[in-house]
Amino acid sequence: MGTIVSIEVVHPHADAAIERAFAWFREIEARCTRFNQSSELMQLVAQPGVPIPASRILFEAVRFSLIAAEATEGAFDPTTAGHFKDLVLDPEQNTITLNRQITLDLGAVAKGLAVDAAARELEPFEHFAIDAGGDLYLGGLNPNAEPWTVGIRHPRRDREVVHTLRVSNQAVCTSGDYERGHHIQDPRTGKPAHSVASATVIAPSAMLADALATAAFVLGPDEGILLLHRMGVEGLIFTPDLHLSETRGLPRVA
Amino acid sequence: MAESPSNKKVANSLVALSSAVVLAVYAAGYARTRTAAAKFETQTAERRPAAPIPAPVASPVSEPHIAELQRTPLPPPKTEKPKPIATIEEPPLEPAPVVETAPAPEPPPPPPAPPPPAPTWKDGTYTGWGTSRHGDIQAQVVIESGRIASTTIAQCLTRYSCSVIEKLPPEVAQRQSPEVDYVSGATQSANAFYYAVVEALNKAK
Repeated sequence: MGTIVSIEVVHPHADAAIERAFAWFREIEARCTRFNQSSELMQLVAQPGVPIPASRILFEAVRFSLIAAEATEGAFDPTTAGHFKDLVLDPEQNTITLNRQITLDLGAVAKGLAVDAAARELEPFEHFAIDAGGDLYLGGLNPNAEPWTVGIRHPRRDREVVHTLRVSNQAVCTSGDYERGHHIQDPRTGKPAHSVASATVIAPSAMLADALATAAFVLGPDEGILLLHRMGVEGLIFTPDLHLSETRGLPRVA
Repeated sequence: MAESPSNKKVANSLVALSSAVVLAVYAAGYARTRTAAAKFETQTAERRPAAPIPAPVASPVSEPHIAELQRTPLPPPKTEKPKPIATIEEPPLEPAPVVETAPAPEPPPPPPAPPPPAPTWKDGTYTGWGTSRHGDIQAQVVIESGRIASTTIAQCLTRYSCSVIEKLPPEVAQRQSPEVDYVSGATQSANAFYYAVVEALNKAK
């Protein structure tokens, strides 16, 4: 994932669980990375036209990606080019079939899934924070016994934290054009998405937050906020001219 | 985006689906992950290690001139873990009363370990370095009467301006602790600052 992962557990004896949580990142990345031709994902992509047996991790990551693609009408799309309907899953056999040669990018979903699996691993400790390069999951309360505070940076003036969120048992993920240099494409058109500078989503899982932040980024401020409302999650969107749109129930500090 | 009934149905199930996916993956991989953990090499930086371990891994993309700076690894001491001192007659961290929109879990159980006595530090001015994949930060901590009087960012060698974390230094004195907030979009800088403060405080012991 090319990401530094950090984990904080508000408990003095969490070392073993923290190691297991880190192991999830390694395990999930090993299977879902595009940057290693021998990964399970790349093996799958290399064999279009035949059903390929998939591990639980790969199968579930693809399954979630496809349903998220349907739910967002392709604004989020693991095939990056509107081909998600050419991915066929067989839940009986645990196989995945690519009906044609396609790109499959599980990067965001895999990172989110790893955060969520790590969070599940740390659940017994209740109070913890996981940060995988801006994909955050905040469990329980911070060491001051308050909900965790998460600052959202201004998309243009990096000197400014524009919102402070109070979060507990939620994931927070931001899709920003400053991170990937305007390289988020609209998978429906193949053109760069221009109408959003950053989209932040707060959701029960990091996988969902990441997918919806990407979708909201592509959809633009109006449809993006509508999407988040429909999905029952909170979030905020900055346009390049710094207009802010947010969902009704955004849990920020006054 | 048109809202067809079927679309809505899919949408409503997406939150539930994400939970089911996480559980399925977790249940299937639990044993294997345990094994993996036994062999786990610390490739990833752990922001707040529970026990002294080797320093967080320096980024492979560190600039050479930054890498040459002499810095000691910084295992934060165990006493930092359960936060003992945060509640000592400090003003509220946030100027406004906390809005009650935060999901209120059951009565907050404090960390189970009994809080050790508040650490006191030797008076003086100390500096420490923290590292991140985006570059390094030097923090300066001033100790007066055994307490953190102030903290500043002495040098900012990160790729991005340190202004993005400028709200963090005051938090150190407010909380008498390096445990500052996360900043989404600037987590690397926030982590580097954290490490820098931990190293400075280690020198003040």
